[in-house]
Amino acid sequence: MTDYEVIIGLETHIQLNTVTKIFCSCKADSWFDPPNTNICPVCTGLPGVLPVLNKSAVEKGALLAAAMHAQLRPLSFFDRKNYFYPDLPKGYQISQYDQSLAFGGYLDLPMPASAGRPAYVRHVGIIKLHLEEDAGKTKNVGGERWTDFNRCGVPLVEMVTGPDLRSADEAAQYLIRLRQLLRWIGVSEADMERGQLRCDANVSIRPVGATYLNPKTEIKNVNSIESVRDAILKEVERQIREVEAGHKIEAWTLEWDEDKQVLRKMRSKETEADYRYFREPDLLPIRLTEEWKAEILSALPELPLERRQRFMDAYELPEYDAEILTSERRLSDYFEQAVLAYRGDPKRVSNWLMNEILRMLNERGLTADALRLTPTYLADILRLVDSGQINTSTGKSLVEKVEATGKSPQQIVAEEGLAKVSDDAAIRAVCQEVLSESPKEVEAYRAGKQTLMGWFVGQVMKKMRGKADPTLARQILEELLS
Amino acid sequence: MELCDTPAYELAVLLRQKRTTATEILNSCLARIEAVDGRPGTLEPQPATLPEDAGKVHAFITLMKTHAMQQAQAVDEKLAAGEDPGPLAGIPVTIKDIFCVRGAPATAASRILANFVAPYTATPVTRLEQAGAVVLGKVNLDEFTYGSSNESSAFQPSTRNPWNPERVPGGSSGGSTASVAAGEAPLSLGTDTAGSIRQPAAFCGVVGLKPTYGRVSRYGLIAFASSLDCPGPVARNVTDAALMLQAIAGPDPQDATAANVPVPDYLAVLDEGVRGLRIGLSPDYFRITYPNPETGEMEEQPVPEEMTAAVRRAAKLLAEMGAEIVEDVPMPNTRYGIPAYFVISRVEAASNLHRYDGVKYGYRTPDAQNDLRLMYRRSRGQGFGPQPKLRILMGMYVSAAQYSAQYYNRALKVRSLIRRDFDQVFDRSGRYRLDALLTPTTPTTAFPMAAVYGNSVMMQYADQLTVPANHAGVPGLSFPGGLAADGMPIGLQLLGPDFSEATLLRIARSYELATESDAWRKVKPKVLR
Repeated sequence: MTDYEVIIGLETHIQLNTVTKIFCSCKADSWFDPPNTNICPVCTGLPGVLPVLNKSAVEKGALLAAAMHAQLRPLSFFDRKNYFYPDLPKGYQISQYDQSLAFGGYLDLPMPASAGRPAYVRHVGIIKLHLEEDAGKTKNVGGERWTDFNRCGVPLVEMVTGPDLRSADEAAQYLIRLRQLLRWIGVSEADMERGQLRCDANVSIRPVGATYLNPKTEIKNVNSIESVRDAILKEVERQIREVEAGHKIEAWTLEWDEDKQVLRKMRSKETEADYRYFREPDLLPIRLTEEWKAEILSALPELPLERRQRFMDAYELPEYDAEILTSERRLSDYFEQAVLAYRGDPKRVSNWLMNEILRMLNERGLTADALRLTPTYLADILRLVDSGQINTSTGKSLVEKVEATGKSPQQIVAEEGLAKVSDDAAIRAVCQEVLSESPKEVEAYRAGKQTLMGWFVGQVMKKMRGKADPTLARQILEELLS
Repeated sequence: MELCDTPAYELAVLLRQKRTTATEILNSCLARIEAVDGRPGTLEPQPATLPEDAGKVHAFITLMKTHAMQQAQAVDEKLAAGEDPGPLAGIPVTIKDIFCVRGAPATAASRILANFVAPYTATPVTRLEQAGAVVLGKVNLDEFTYGSSNESSAFQPSTRNPWNPERVPGGSSGGSTASVAAGEAPLSLGTDTAGSIRQPAAFCGVVGLKPTYGRVSRYGLIAFASSLDCPGPVARNVTDAALMLQAIAGPDPQDATAANVPVPDYLAVLDEGVRGLRIGLSPDYFRITYPNPETGEMEEQPVPEEMTAAVRRAAKLLAEMGAEIVEDVPMPNTRYGIPAYFVISRVEAASNLHRYDGVKYGYRTPDAQNDLRLMYRRSRGQGFGPQPKLRILMGMYVSAAQYSAQYYNRALKVRSLIRRDFDQVFDRSGRYRLDALLTPTTPTTAFPMAAVYGNSVMMQYADQLTVPANHAGVPGLSFPGGLAADGMPIGLQLLGPDFSEATLLRIARSYELATESDAWRKVKPKVLR
């Protein structure tokens, strides 16, 4: 039996999170709005209207291009892509064709180690990156076809990878990294369920070692990363089955049925449609001057994969920690600010962040920048624990208290008397109390059951509501029991 | 003189001096319309001509009488209150029915848009209204502006030439020029894609200005060829055209292609004369090139002697007033203007017509209920007349992937060459250093009804001398230059560099003054005799 290599290219449509649409001043995001409420003569293509370019869409598109290491063109053009469909009110889509905003670009995709394979990096090239307007939506209701034009004119970036991905996992990983990047640089909410990140997958197979490309099928209508993975796996299985049975793969367009988890054939693609592209005469070319470009790129932050590597190199964090801490930009900013304020072991900050802070963020649906527990306060708590002024469990409870009140950790410790009791006499009195109340345990301990020491310490801590210095308590108990 | 025949700039004075009212002016225009316009164009099948049509102009598709009366009244109230009602206060204007005016049908003279009522107003119309003008109604045109005679309108009877109702008014802004020539309104808003303001202005003996591309916003103009379309004024004299351009010109945040160039005071320089101006005559504008209908070979022919003579006489008068006439200016790519236009305009037109699909507005076929593709085909098949269909076929053909290099891209190169012709002769440090070119507007005077219609190639060649300005984006002004032996008006054309409207108006105004007492100036159009 032949071994097959899977060849995948992804075509993504990214909804830019501008306030208004790309060619008119209607609100761009209509997720929560009833059909046909964010529309105007321009985006519904009434006779006589003209598009006017939204500068912000260009800026967000350019930022994305730069983050993908693509080259920005100083002069780019809009073109008309002509076709008929009820969701396309002008009968053409304003898009970019041969001279788009940017060209080239790539993403070096880190693939985690898996069974039988060490971690590796997949270089994914970008072969197309351009701005365009979205079309509307249609649906069949009873015997009628209904159209909703809210989405018409929403700014999109279409970004297409080369046939560079080699597995369904890589495809899923690419989308995970892309989504992370889009949110990180703030150009898209990138929520696949809301259509802010859409993906079509081109899939083909070939015998391992071959260099040619076989006809591919295109999978449409996949609206979650899991579905992309599932659909590709199903399609690869099907293609292998077909080839093994001696059949040829035809260039079909397939549709993923989320509910039934099956692929359905939408249409054959014998010939490429002729969209009769020509320059959009109603818009001027985009002139990206050096000044404008510099202004746009000044907003380009350190990218997530770069920051992840730096966290590993500079702070000696394990890959696992670095991955989680850079999953989201504000969380990674928080971490770095806390490390700076703390000046101690970054791994210690990481542990507290990944346990205490992340739990709190998840429970409350917050982002790190919204916490009242600032990075400086977290560093304060860590130092209080380190210096023995409070114990670890008090530190953990402080995390909640600071967040709840917004007061500084020091203030709460002072107000609530949370500082550890290191007074030998006070602890000694409680220890004696515990021992006299527990004659059986004392007897057992003396008979050799040394493990009971932990229980005695626990009893002391309980009586002192956690404030006792446990090391001191242990010393006193040992002395009293000896 | 009746108010409706009085120049707009004089009406403005009379109004401010309280010697008349906007309502009086409007009533005078309405009376003239009543007298000469006849039945309006409709979609209903009717006899081509009825006895009652004799001497009628048929300029209107939609007369907006109530709307106009309200606007006139508002102007009179402002005047009574001592407020400034604007530079065009109380001046009635007709609007080519290719512009959107909120609440009024915008038909584009096509069945496919016959039931479309515009929910917004085009920028140039808004500016006219802001200047106090009274919008009188929407006037006829070739369907979607596709023609040079008005005969292709779906709204029949189509407009006739007021100088001789057996002749075409020209087109596509024929309703505009006929309404102005017949005294139905002093001003009209037209559009010019290959000569659609200038050619009918020449045919109807009025002034028509195609401004520089981008000088006047296209927002609300139902597009033909977006890279060529220019809204512009139609008037009975040069001063009125300047007055109207002043109101409609300027940048527009709703049109990215509207130029951010300041608008000069056109009226202020109108009477500065022509001393020192260099005006060129080009042999390439005294001949026409057209395909032989039998062989398809291109043939060349001089324009009729009386057209050439009218241009020569104008040059002589301008020279006497101090202009420098420069002979033999080469404009070698003029002859390729029509073929290149055939390709470029069709590609853009076919795309611009895509939106008329029966889905959202306009005509939808009653007989394709459950099949989307069939609904598209039938709606478009039944809604569009022959001219849009020809443009769709041609546009789709030459923009197809396998042909676009051969046709479309080549036509774009020709367009650049035509632009270069103009750049070279207007170059301030070049050999010719022209301020303007003086040419005939059209190869002939208005042709008889049905003489050319049906031959869409020859119809297109009526625009041969006007289309280069659209390719190049430069301004062109057509103004009356006498009457031909057939009694029909002759149009003279001035072409200038980008944004030189003020200079062109100045030259035409000088000519107007020099010919003020000419006998032909006293002759009225036939329908007014």
